[in-house]
Amino acid sequence: MTAPGAQGRLSYFLGRALTNIRQNVFVNIVTIGTITLALLIVSLFLLLFVNIENAADNWSEKVQVTVYFDKELSPQQQTDIKNRIQTLPATSKVQWVSRDEALKRFKGRLKGQETLLEGIRPEVLPTSFEISLKKNSRSTESVDAYVTKLKAIPSIGEIQYGEEWVRRFNTFLTFMRIVGSLAGGFLVLAVIFIVSNTIQLTIYARRDELEIMSLVGATRLFIKMPFLLEGIVQGIAGGVLALALLLSVHLLFLHNAGNFLTFNPATAGLSFLPPEYIAGLLAAGAILGFLGSLTALRRFINEINV
Amino acid sequence: MIQFHNVFLAYQKDATALQNINLRIPKGEFVFLTGPSGAGKTTLLRLIYGALNASRGQVLIDGQNISRLTSSQLPYLRRSIGVVFQDFKLLQNRSVFENVAITLEVQGGGSKTDISKRVMHILRQMGMENKIALTPQRLSGGEQQRVALARALVNEPKILLADEPTGNLDDANKMQILNIFKEANVKGTTVVVATHDRRLIEHAHYRTIRLQNGELLDSGEVRNEEIQQ
Repeated sequence: MTAPGAQGRLSYFLGRALTNIRQNVFVNIVTIGTITLALLIVSLFLLLFVNIENAADNWSEKVQVTVYFDKELSPQQQTDIKNRIQTLPATSKVQWVSRDEALKRFKGRLKGQETLLEGIRPEVLPTSFEISLKKNSRSTESVDAYVTKLKAIPSIGEIQYGEEWVRRFNTFLTFMRIVGSLAGGFLVLAVIFIVSNTIQLTIYARRDELEIMSLVGATRLFIKMPFLLEGIVQGIAGGVLALALLLSVHLLFLHNAGNFLTFNPATAGLSFLPPEYIAGLLAAGAILGFLGSLTALRRFINEINV
Repeated sequence: MIQFHNVFLAYQKDATALQNINLRIPKGEFVFLTGPSGAGKTTLLRLIYGALNASRGQVLIDGQNISRLTSSQLPYLRRSIGVVFQDFKLLQNRSVFENVAITLEVQGGGSKTDISKRVMHILRQMGMENKIALTPQRLSGGEQQRVALARALVNEPKILLADEPTGNLDDANKMQILNIFKEANVKGTTVVVATHDRRLIEHAHYRTIRLQNGELLDSGEVRNEEIQQ
């Protein structure tokens, strides 16, 4: 004991944990290696999941409601209707598309075959408002509800929002999230199982130490603390190594993956994990090490009848 | 005082390790526990330091029924009992000093300086003061047993239990270990030594408790009860 009191005890436990790591290099390498691999698999999965979610966000921006008008609106009418649309909570952005703009876009789509549109005047095309919806209002139900509210606005003409596309896109998103959650859940369970068993092996290798400590009158907490701290240190070390490996893999291979999962070339390539995920992975490593040690200790401490 | 009242212990239903043991070891006595292998000597010792609980009957230490102790109370009982084994049970990756200091560390036994003083004191008594930095692998059997004894005695326990402590030692080392037991006993520690070494028993002339097939054959006469009480 370096000094009496809680602080002295904590520094003793921490010192003991670090000494144990130094004195049992091989078993610690095995444990940290297992945690690293386990967290690397989880973090690769997370990286993929985060990027698919990002891509889904990009795709969902295509969920757009268009309101067509057969007749030309006066600037005052445009402003009035636009204001009414903007007061709807789900509205993100409203853009007026004039007849000239509509023709220009049409021509743009028929690039190379512009001659087909010769003689067509802008008046044949309808004017419209193109409405983007807020991120959390892009589900099938939300869009349906939004359209109902839009219809209640006077002077609103025909409304189109690609119902079938929205429905399919949302079904795909739901399916992807369920599959992702299931796969992630199984992965986490497998990781906990593997790490817990590896730590059990390392503690089994040191059961003499547990037995001797109990013989000389150590309380359960006193016996457990250095092992638990050791587990936390191993977990954090595994987390840091896993993140370092993930970053290397990302920088070497994934950073420049062309046009992956996105329609927008500007956002091509996989983005790295956001900071909250990085912090989460390190915390997961610490928790994994702690729980693995706790499970293993509970078993052995009962066995040696402390 | 260690007392056994009608103690039975069965590991399995049809395998009784101890049967109807009635025994009294007064405070400060030195006793030998003897009998052939499998007689139940180790089991009896394990009952005293709470590694096993009696299937029936009571084991009392200073009047306290130890099978009723909770897992959080048991460590405090063990702090008053030193235990020594034939295979020494030393931590191979720790130095002689650390192996002895662990007893005081787990008990929160004062500052680093206090612990150091007490460890050095007991190691000097054991003649091991020049080997404090060595790990057990570099010690002879006799030296390892002296380190184990230092670990058991460093906190001056009320009871010292030894399970075949001289089983792996030559005659010279046996006598050295026996003398350490005697010195501890003189200072007031109750000593229980389980052994089937006849020469050791004959050399020391203490009360001998005989076990066979889990039964008490003879518990001898309590000779120094009045002196200690």
